[in-house]
Amino acid sequence: MSETTTRRISSMDTAAPKTWQGRLTGWCQARYGPYAAIITLVGAVVVGVGGVLAWTYDASYAGDLTVAFSPIGGQRWAIGGAVALIVMTLLDGVLQRPLGRFFPLGGVKASLILSVALLLMGVVVAIRASKVLGGLANVNTGLWLVIAGGLVATAGAIGRVEPERPALKAPKPLPAWLDFIIIAVTIGLGLVVAVKALDSSDEVTFMCILFVVGGIAAALQFSGLLPRISAITASHYGVTIAASFIAAIIFPFTQGTNGAYLSIAVNVAIFAAAAIGLNIVVGLAGLLDLGYIAFTGVGAYYAALFSGAASSRFAGHHQPFLAVLVGGAVVAAIFGLIIGAPTLRLRGDYLAIVTLGFGEIFRITVNNLNGQSGPNITGGAQGIYGVPDLDVFGVNFGKNQTIFGTQLSYFANYYFAALILIAFVMFIFIRANSSRIGRAWVAIREDETAASAMGVNTFKLKLLAFAMGAFLAGLAGTIQAHSLSSVTPDSYVFLNSSFLLSAVVLGGMGTVMGPLLGAVLLLVIPEKLRFFQEWRLWLFGLALILMMRFRPEGLIASRRRALEFHEAEDDDAEAPLSGGLGAPPGAGHGGVL
Amino acid sequence: MSDFFQQLANGIVLGMLYALIALGYTMVYGIIQLINFAHGEIFMIGAFGSLAVFTLLGSPDHLWVLIPMILGGMVSSVAIAVVMERFAYRPLRHAPRLAPLITAIGVSVFLQESIRLWQGGAAKPYPSLLSGNALSIGGVTVDKTSMLIVFLAAGSMIALDRFVATSRTGRAMRATAQDPDTARLMGIDTDRIIVIAFVLGACLAAVAGVAQGLSTGNIQFNIGFIAGLKAFTAAVLGGIGNIRGAVVGGLLIGIIEVMLTQYFPNGSAWKDVGAFAVLILVLLLRPQGLLGERVADRA
Repeated sequence: MSETTTRRISSMDTAAPKTWQGRLTGWCQARYGPYAAIITLVGAVVVGVGGVLAWTYDASYAGDLTVAFSPIGGQRWAIGGAVALIVMTLLDGVLQRPLGRFFPLGGVKASLILSVALLLMGVVVAIRASKVLGGLANVNTGLWLVIAGGLVATAGAIGRVEPERPALKAPKPLPAWLDFIIIAVTIGLGLVVAVKALDSSDEVTFMCILFVVGGIAAALQFSGLLPRISAITASHYGVTIAASFIAAIIFPFTQGTNGAYLSIAVNVAIFAAAAIGLNIVVGLAGLLDLGYIAFTGVGAYYAALFSGAASSRFAGHHQPFLAVLVGGAVVAAIFGLIIGAPTLRLRGDYLAIVTLGFGEIFRITVNNLNGQSGPNITGGAQGIYGVPDLDVFGVNFGKNQTIFGTQLSYFANYYFAALILIAFVMFIFIRANSSRIGRAWVAIREDETAASAMGVNTFKLKLLAFAMGAFLAGLAGTIQAHSLSSVTPDSYVFLNSSFLLSAVVLGGMGTVMGPLLGAVLLLVIPEKLRFFQEWRLWLFGLALILMMRFRPEGLIASRRRALEFHEAEDDDAEAPLSGGLGAPPGAGHGGVL
Repeated sequence: MSDFFQQLANGIVLGMLYALIALGYTMVYGIIQLINFAHGEIFMIGAFGSLAVFTLLGSPDHLWVLIPMILGGMVSSVAIAVVMERFAYRPLRHAPRLAPLITAIGVSVFLQESIRLWQGGAAKPYPSLLSGNALSIGGVTVDKTSMLIVFLAAGSMIALDRFVATSRTGRAMRATAQDPDTARLMGIDTDRIIVIAFVLGACLAAVAGVAQGLSTGNIQFNIGFIAGLKAFTAAVLGGIGNIRGAVVGGLLIGIIEVMLTQYFPNGSAWKDVGAFAVLILVLLLRPQGLLGERVADRA
């Protein structure tokens, strides 16, 4: 590294931080920097004590949170969060020796994010409790301590100075069997947490799980453990996906004949399959499709019309399920071609608005084909109801089936069908992504003119992505029609398209796991938190804005996508380093890394 | 035949409304090539802002209340538009194209839901300050409200056209639309110009909001969605980025919609399909729009 670069880098470090975050950190460090870790610890202990004490004065809310020294539900999770915070805070102290190598990025940022999560948990629970019980007076000492502890811990964590760390070394590759165990444990933990969260009997427990698990996950990310696990899962991609599917298959066996959560799971799975399909269009090819739900609708209406539902015009034309499946998907793909062909010749934005228009046309049309405004085909606003349960290979999907000696709710049948659908969509996604076609899509997404100059047939490939997306949406729609047993125009409004888009954006554009996570979060949270229903769309609108602003690559980032989205920022950051003063090209970059 | 002319008159009134909204799309698009999906919501907020002022003044039954109402609508629309530009769009100016589009969807949903949570989901009655017919020629009657809308809209459009054509800021706007980098080199504060485009669009949208309220007699949190879509269609039809094109496109969309309702069997159930069918046809046959000299591949 040349001397000039070193000097300039160090002068950059000492320059007054311009952002408000920088100023705040500087201020806090100057005031209580040396004691910051201890303050965080005190905060964590206070949160833990708060978890042990009573949270409310009124036993009628969320089980009975009025008893001190016998923590239940959410209180236990709060204590768990506090313990995790203590561990994270001590990572740069006494725990450095035993645990440091698992957390190469240290615990400073991690403890901050976990503190904030605990603080938010306390505040949200307090707000809910006061809303349900009528006034903040019902909030007891324990909950106040959680909030106070969260505040203290956050303040402490802000003031911590990031210690000097040795340069990151590439971790030594582990033996394959150890990798497999790590993958299995990670996914097993995921399944356990998911079941726990679903089983939580009251909203306080669920909210606490949400904040504590989310906070710990973020903390593990920033401390460097999660990135290592991601690297391991990425190097055994097939194993990871297989293990995830095994976990997903085990899930119904934890539920037995109770179909309450399985019915949610069916919705989530179909929604997720559609979201992964949308991710091919949006994430891989970079085409913004705002009418995606209409293609699902095409498939669903096709299935409803030709499956022998009594209210269907074509009740007599009963086709076998596999024919319906393929038929619905093909018809959806044909619609995709009709919409795509004129618009994809133009660039970008027009597609968004035309698909939006198509979504509306579809909804209005099925609403109008009711025998009054038009010929009676779709049954108008009432839709088509009484779509019969599936009956494939002699398995009646409407009956509880016994598998491996366990009787499962009949929702499990649809759940397994949806899993097969997800597997199929994932297969297409992964194969397309790693093929010549996938690389061409990336080229188109990043610079269409350049791609076209390199000989990529941009129009054909965009049309392929678009029609493929429509095909997969149609597939999802046919299964949805059977699992819901009715189709109505209301299910295919624009908001549902934007909801799907939120799942993709939230989870991660261009990844296969991202939309899955997005779908789970977007559908399960409102299901468990009823009060949330009203605010659902408002928050998702806000989430879209914030995600695009602060983490456009989504919760699960595709590396290529992340680089793309942060390209501009990197350019800005490099400018003062690589410009002028005769520094050898690339020296600035080398110096930073 | 007088029936046809009556429908034509109605179509022009409706078209004026679409044109006012379309101008906001076209100006923003012309300068930063962003489809501001949330513009329909700016229109809706203008309507709610003016209604709030009306209620605040004690619901007077007097025509002059229209002036504070329009001003109130403009203030609320402009405030939201400026905040939106500053905090949602500006940070993404150099991001990949998909990012601001998704943000625009987010802003649209967010604004719609904010109003729904605050004002409720049901339609709110809007005062009809004028009643009776203004003129009646050979069987074609135009009521006073429609007359007022036409004058308001035409006045705003002429003012905008003159502003862009003659004022110093207007010249800077045109320069920025042509070539933002060169414009910046010539000393134009392009960030300011972009804000001005949003502000002007929001002002016109607020006028449209008041007009919508007056003519339909009620407003709802979701009126911006369909109206915004049609206005966008109008902007594309006229040639996006072209201010006069937006007016022409708006009028055409309004007339097509009214004619479809009148002469197509069960037209009122299908009228919204018509606008989108026009959009797809335009993109297929003449993507640069009727008056657009610019080729659509900048899109």
